[in-house]
Amino acid sequence: MMLQVILAISAVLFCFGLLATLTRSNAIMVLIGIELMLGAGNLNFIAFWKFSTHPELLTGIMFAIFSIALAAAEAAVGLAIVIQVHRRLRSVNVNRATQLKG
Amino acid sequence: MHELFQKIIALPWDQAPQWLFLIPAFVMLMGAAAAVMLRNLIHCALCLTLSFIALGVLFMALGAEFVGFVQLLVYVGAVAMLILFAILLTPAGEVAASNNPLRNFKFSRAFAAAGGATVALLVLVSLLGAIFFSPHARAVVPPAQAAIAPVKAIGENLLNHTLLPLQATAILLTAALIGAALLAKEEKKS
Repeated sequence: MMLQVILAISAVLFCFGLLATLTRSNAIMVLIGIELMLGAGNLNFIAFWKFSTHPELLTGIMFAIFSIALAAAEAAVGLAIVIQVHRRLRSVNVNRATQLKG
Repeated sequence: MHELFQKIIALPWDQAPQWLFLIPAFVMLMGAAAAVMLRNLIHCALCLTLSFIALGVLFMALGAEFVGFVQLLVYVGAVAMLILFAILLTPAGEVAASNNPLRNFKFSRAFAAAGGATVALLVLVSLLGAIFFSPHARAVVPPAQAAIAPVKAIGENLLNHTLLPLQATAILLTAALIGAALLAKEEKKS
């Protein structure tokens, strides 16, 4: 039962991130939502590691560590793009970044 | 102060009840909710930091101390600071009404928020249904193992089984840093 409780907590956290990504028009809030969703994924890795039959193999731990490293790279590039968009458009509203719209 | 720390460490943590992990989980969810709902961006970033700290504590409570500390170092130390700097560097500019593509729809913002909330709620309901009511939910889950993720074993695992992903991550981080510096660089006007 404890595994399911942790998975449910992770699902709620994921949906908070999804809500921020879908409803907020500020690009930084979209990035915050993505970070929340990645945190929920990491929580799932740790939970499945804790309740696996072979936790000494550390598979979930390894996945979580690499996932955190990828999230850091994603945040750096994403925020650099946000700053460049602000420099071009004088705004970080995602509704205004329409130059590539077909 | 030192004696207080020693008393706290000497507490019988092995016999702590299992539901204790619900406390950081609750703090984490409240912080995430506040980060999503609040209007002020700085408040959002600070609540996000609180949520990250609670998530790190939750990792430690689940027995993954190393991942918990990495979470604190990387997310609280680096990512939260990056987000705060980005918020401070991008003051909310005036959105020209004529350029706003959504200006024709009076209730467009409310519609967008309701649509996003509906999608998030549907995803949440389907996830919870899968977690609690799917056939796999009745499968036998092995009991929670004692916390065994020694840092030595993690280091050996990193340099033996996951050496190639580790090197790839190093290249990726280098590329990401160079790319971020290039993207954020001021362009020279020619």
